[in-house]
Amino acid sequence: METGDLSSQIRSADPAVGLRAVGALHRLAEQVEAAQVKAARQQGWTWEQIGDALGVSRQSVHAKHRE
Amino acid sequence: MFERLANDVREILGFAMEEARYRGDNRLGTDHLLLGALREPGPAGTMGVTVEVARAAARKLDRAALASVGIDAEGVKPDTMPRPGKHLPFSSGARSVLERMHRYATAEKARKITTAHLLLSLLDREEHDPAAALLNELAVDRTEVRRRILAG
Repeated sequence: METGDLSSQIRSADPAVGLRAVGALHRLAEQVEAAQVKAARQQGWTWEQIGDALGVSRQSVHAKHRE
Repeated sequence: MFERLANDVREILGFAMEEARYRGDNRLGTDHLLLGALREPGPAGTMGVTVEVARAAARKLDRAALASVGIDAEGVKPDTMPRPGKHLPFSSGARSVLERMHRYATAEKARKITTAHLLLSLLDREEHDPAAALLNELAVDRTEVRRRILAG
């Protein structure tokens, strides 16, 4: 998709839909993160490596995702 | 207020917290209160909606909203969220729902705050509210459901 398409769609969206999209993006990011962190742990990644990949500290990723 | 809550209302608040966590939200919102209530057979029967159907409707609203900004989330499977036991703050809408629930009980001079009071309060949510959006998506007939609740 061209960026022009995206921005025109955002502009034309009803704020009820646009604001929900922001919330949905956040939820989507959380869900993708949970699935990918789990997969990385299963493949032997350390918490430090996962934290670096996500741009957060080892401690915060561990506190959030430990089993 | 909390000491007056009936046991099933306390349970629903716990379920609502789980629903918020499962979805990866940062706050407990009115939609999570609705989903939490629907995990109890009584409210699900009164509303004529199962929690599974309601969760699917919430996901559908999310997918439609994402599509409006050009994102196709069809292939993403929902995963169980982490953060076990993490207590999320209530949204201001959710706090209003609880206040109104309390007022319904007080107006009736009820000793306990029950699921009926919670449902009546949720049914009152108006435009630009996540629970109202979910009720609309589920095509819940609010007038009819309110009548059923008040008929006891």
